[in-house]
Amino acid sequence: MNKKTALYGLFLLAVLGALLLRLFQLDLRPMHHDEANQAVKFGILLEKGEYFYDRTEHHGPTLYYLSLPFAWIASGTSFSALSEVTLRLLPVIFGVGIILLFLLFKDGFSLEAAVFASVLNAVSPAMVFYSRFYIQETLLVFFLVGAVAASWRYIRTRSPYWAAAAGFFFGMMFSTKETCVIAFGSMLAALILSFISLKKHSQPKDTPSMPKTSHLFIFLGTGALVSLLLYSSFFQNPKGILDSVFAFGTYFSRAGSAGFHYHPLYYYLKMLAFAQYGNGPVWSEALILVLALIGGVAAFRPLSHGESSPFFIRFVTLYTLLATAAYSLIPYKTPWNMLPFYIGFILLAGYGSAFLLKISKKLTFRVAVFLVLGLGVFHLGVQNYRANFKFYADSRNPYVYAQTSIGFLNLVKRINELAPLHPDQNLMLIKVITEPDEAWPLPWYLRAFRRVGYWQEVDESGALADVPLIVSSINKTSQLQPYLEDNHILEYYELRPGILLALYIEQNLWDTFLQEKKVK
Amino acid sequence: MIKKIYLATLFFSVSVLFILGGGVDFKSTDQEKVVLELKLPKPMFVGTPRNIRSPNLEKITGKKRGSFYVPKGTELLSLDKPVTGSDTEPVIGELEFVTDGEKSGEEGYYVELGPSVQHVQIDLEGSYPLHAILIWHYHSQARVYRDVIVQVSDDPDFITGVKTIFNNDHDNSSGLGVGKDKEYIEVNEGRLIDPRGVTARYVRLYSRGNTSNDMNHYVEVEVYGTPAK
Repeated sequence: MNKKTALYGLFLLAVLGALLLRLFQLDLRPMHHDEANQAVKFGILLEKGEYFYDRTEHHGPTLYYLSLPFAWIASGTSFSALSEVTLRLLPVIFGVGIILLFLLFKDGFSLEAAVFASVLNAVSPAMVFYSRFYIQETLLVFFLVGAVAASWRYIRTRSPYWAAAAGFFFGMMFSTKETCVIAFGSMLAALILSFISLKKHSQPKDTPSMPKTSHLFIFLGTGALVSLLLYSSFFQNPKGILDSVFAFGTYFSRAGSAGFHYHPLYYYLKMLAFAQYGNGPVWSEALILVLALIGGVAAFRPLSHGESSPFFIRFVTLYTLLATAAYSLIPYKTPWNMLPFYIGFILLAGYGSAFLLKISKKLTFRVAVFLVLGLGVFHLGVQNYRANFKFYADSRNPYVYAQTSIGFLNLVKRINELAPLHPDQNLMLIKVITEPDEAWPLPWYLRAFRRVGYWQEVDESGALADVPLIVSSINKTSQLQPYLEDNHILEYYELRPGILLALYIEQNLWDTFLQEKKVK
Repeated sequence: MIKKIYLATLFFSVSVLFILGGGVDFKSTDQEKVVLELKLPKPMFVGTPRNIRSPNLEKITGKKRGSFYVPKGTELLSLDKPVTGSDTEPVIGELEFVTDGEKSGEEGYYVELGPSVQHVQIDLEGSYPLHAILIWHYHSQARVYRDVIVQVSDDPDFITGVKTIFNNDHDNSSGLGVGKDKEYIEVNEGRLIDPRGVTARYVRLYSRGNTSNDMNHYVEVEVYGTPAK
């Protein structure tokens, strides 16, 4: 077996491993508040064919439109028949797709580097965790890698098809999440700085020349067309195009006034390097950070790189540095926001691994490097298991953020146990009286019930005495008590750590439930 | 003649009943019931909520517990008394933590027993009239423990003379009978249970996980009673 075959074999293993880690028990983690928001928004598109871009919430349209084929195959156009697995399949596929795109970089920084980056991406706990999460981030990273890959292929081939592909990927980035501008800015700055850094060592092979004007039009036209189609909801809502631009005002002000999502400058890097909460385990993706550092330093060594392109690897290094700085400087931080710059670390780590092997001339050194890399990958794999299959909803996991508690599923289970015993069954009236952020993910879990109302105030929720089920915030229970006049049983369930919900069950329904339980 | 009058009356009655019955029947099929379509408010879309990782020590009930009266001479009987449990190898901590007098909600002061129904049992080393039992399961975070059942007995195996003084297992999921007591949210002032002077040597406390996870925790249990003179 030659080296190339072995590397392709390892790449295939990485793809299969990535797929397995991302697919296994995909419905294990309860739906997150944000996932449920996205799912309900998608449900409207699925059932009514309606999608209107909202410049204040939910981000861009790609997540919803790309979810459609998965839903059609799995459950037709019925929102209530949808499952967590169907929805999360989309980020899974795109998460694995990122790895496949790495192969397009093989002449940018060598086949070894591309394969090692694939292995690291396959087992990175952060990457796997958010590839199992129905939000935009994994899609954004896929389109980002696609944009870089297509641009790189264009530089290599000067083909108009690659120019169109680059335009498509940039357009998809813009249509996925407003934060793409951070990546755009970082890429542009990295591009200019890479040129400057290579100016003195002008080798035509290394530094790309300006694209043809016609190719530039193809690139811009494709990107604009993709964005216009998606933001206008395929011309159903032309206002969406303007809103996609005005949205930046909303997101700039949100980035500055982070509220309870304010985190310090070092938040992301500390989370990746070392994290431990309470008596939980230690988490670290330091292997990737250290290898990326080696790769970054190697990128700026004197030019004699053999297989790799100095322009490409310097671009990746500078992009990673600039994007990390930009994301870290923004006060508003949520852990999934780190993915667009963390992917740069993974690519650099792949290059760093290949570089270490290249400079290890003696067999003993090469064996030692392989051993360290192997152990490091194993360590990431162990953490991966912990992050996704053991601490998947535990706040001691650094990637768990405002996650719905496992105990919340008991509330859903109770409602599903009671509904068949009520004469109206899934037409049973359910009143949810909570603050808006304490209502989610109930709209997802109660999607099969046709009469569910959501209020923020007890006074506005109408008659309550005969309502079979009432879900309320804890701070509303004292207001609710006089309305319910001891006609309801009260149970408590945890929504998120430290946040409880009260479930009021009408006495007759409860008595029927107990009776049924006795008979069984 | 009487027979004719009787038959005519019978015919008339049956006819009236038939018409009325038919009318009722006709009416009920004509006005078929349909579900009243209510316009209920939709859920409001909002951004990512606050992430809570640090302990939440705030009380949720908002009200302090009122004074609790006990007979003169009542003392804390449980301090440093032997504790046994259904989980002999706790996941975190030691069973002795239950009666060691430390009530802090921080890490290192509670014992964690495994999932499903678990119990701890305190041996008061003598049978005494009991006047108050205070329980702290876990109070560094708002949570509710499932199926809290407190029983007392003079039999260490709890086979004979078992008296249940608190039971909030409202659906009998722990299999010790349906309880009428309410579930409650853990706070730092603990849960006070009134044993109403029942005399016993052993106190056994059950639970079946909590709203946060399936595990069972005890920071402290205090049993008050009047010691023998």
